[in-house]
Amino acid sequence: MLRFLLKRLALTIPTFVALMFVTFVAIRMVPGDPVEVRTGERGISPERLAQFRHELGLDQPVWKQFTDYAWGLLHGDFGTSVVTNERVLTEFVQLFPATLELAFFAMVFAILIGIPAGVIAALKRGSIFDQTLMGLSLTGFSMPIFWWGLLLIMLVSERLGWTPVSGRIDLIKFYFEPVTGFMLIDALLSDQAGAFKSAFHHLMLPMIVLGTVPLATLARMTRSSMLEVLSEDYVRTAYAKGLSPFRVIGMHALRNALIPVVTIIGLQVGSLMAGAVLTETIFSWPGVGKWLIESIGRRDYPALQGGILLISSIVIVVNLTVDMLYGFINPRIRHGQ
Amino acid sequence: MASDPQVQAGAVEAVQAPPSPLAAFWASFCENRGAVMGLALLSLIIFVAVFAEWVSPYSPVEQFRDFTKLPPVWVEGGNWHYLLGTDALGRDTLTRLIFGARVSLFIGLTVMVVSVILGVALGLAAAALGGIVDVMIMRVMDLILSVPGLVLAILIVAVMGPSLTNTIVAVTAVFLPRYVRLVRASALSELGRDYVTSARVAGAGPLRLMVLTVLPNCLAPLIVQAALGVSEAILEAAALGFLGLGAQPPVAEWGAMLADSREFIRSNPWIVTLPGLAILVTVISINLFGDGLRDALDPKLKRS
Repeated sequence: MLRFLLKRLALTIPTFVALMFVTFVAIRMVPGDPVEVRTGERGISPERLAQFRHELGLDQPVWKQFTDYAWGLLHGDFGTSVVTNERVLTEFVQLFPATLELAFFAMVFAILIGIPAGVIAALKRGSIFDQTLMGLSLTGFSMPIFWWGLLLIMLVSERLGWTPVSGRIDLIKFYFEPVTGFMLIDALLSDQAGAFKSAFHHLMLPMIVLGTVPLATLARMTRSSMLEVLSEDYVRTAYAKGLSPFRVIGMHALRNALIPVVTIIGLQVGSLMAGAVLTETIFSWPGVGKWLIESIGRRDYPALQGGILLISSIVIVVNLTVDMLYGFINPRIRHGQ
Repeated sequence: MASDPQVQAGAVEAVQAPPSPLAAFWASFCENRGAVMGLALLSLIIFVAVFAEWVSPYSPVEQFRDFTKLPPVWVEGGNWHYLLGTDALGRDTLTRLIFGARVSLFIGLTVMVVSVILGVALGLAAAALGGIVDVMIMRVMDLILSVPGLVLAILIVAVMGPSLTNTIVAVTAVFLPRYVRLVRASALSELGRDYVTSARVAGAGPLRLMVLTVLPNCLAPLIVQAALGVSEAILEAAALGFLGLGAQPPVAEWGAMLADSREFIRSNPWIVTLPGLAILVTVISINLFGDGLRDALDPKLKRS
């Protein structure tokens, strides 16, 4: 097991280094001199220009710039935003809980509906329920989620007036210091009447929008995995032993059927982050996705560079963790090595 | 027993020529009603995209300033001259949707063709050469996969500047790894087979061995992946367009049309509804078609 872990860990190190290199190169390919961007159009004296270049380290050879950059990264220096003059890591850490909350509840939504729906569809294969679910799953899977978000705003927020259009909580009525960064939990802790309800109402639509594609994927996967397991000999044996259908499905079939599903859940993290960019933009959700898009508009390249590096690092770490967890729940993987 | 009538009947049947591979494929494809429906819809979309100039009533950039923000004809206030209504600048929505189909399909197909070609080349090279080449190629693919798709596309477009061409480059970069991995994996599993060894013993050179002997046997999963890849590329490109990082105005692109419509979400819901519906219908029809292809071409992958 340890060898499996170490091997898997060693494989991610080159990926990290290459990722650093790519973001480093990408930022230097951007048209326009970063110094001139800072100094503006009026221009400044050559001495000041040289001083600026020195401050930004641009008078160093390129390899030195890269090693300095990598050294900074290893010490948590992801650059400084040229717009807010705030450290990129600081901004990211402030905004990330909002994205995490959104992604977490989107996944919970997808799991709570997708897995039971997939199991029922498999048990009632060919039924109206099964066919409807597969049709819906195909639609969800093909859904342009930015449009889905606009549609829901149009129907639920504008037409029915059930939910607010943007943000995380009603800022006019409620204010409290973030404790956990999760607005739902902070609202509960704040003891302000109605705060939790407001936070939940704000979360509902973005959660559904971001959760739709994972929901469709999970329902499909659970169904096909369950169908496969149901035809296995050990399920027949369990029935033959006289166990109740409930016990056979719950204990014998479902536990095995869920192994591939767990991997799928882990692998969704990357697409959740990509989906969060769109969802946050539509609902003005103050997370890292919206921040990333805005930093492009403001030509804040250090923020873009640092943000992409941080998001990718999170995805790499989560995928690594999922791989390892997979080794734990499925011994065939770790012994197969 | 030769006198058994059943065996005799079987023998007679075996003498008849088996259906040609194409006919067998078509029969198998037609078993899936959804796939046939998807193919029919897709053919219609391709038809209007190709003949956009003749099919659409107006030009996609022509502005009818007296008829802005009209609803479709079946809604009160609709005008028979503009079947699906007009946008904020008075451009005919139906026309723009038709031209948008051309843009989206063009992006989807170009991304697919380029990534299949590159994917086959890199995948076969990795499988055939092994060693350091294999490691290098696969590390780069892992790197691309470690950045969430849309985020990588955003980085590429931010660096290169938003345009239709750069959208294609960005989306191709995002989807390349899955083709490379697929080709490499199926090539590696084929390389161990006896028929490959016999071709090698017969004196086939490495290029001939990979391209003529191995590649044809890797095609089934590749074709399926390519078909489904078109729909994903269309979605990804539309997302870039929606974020303002795709094709630039006045190109009629579905994602950009949606982004333009956001401010009319309250007053003119139709302007928001139609472009998204166009994306959804196109993607669903390609996915239905792709599922049918998979069932027909690759029985091993058939969904239960």
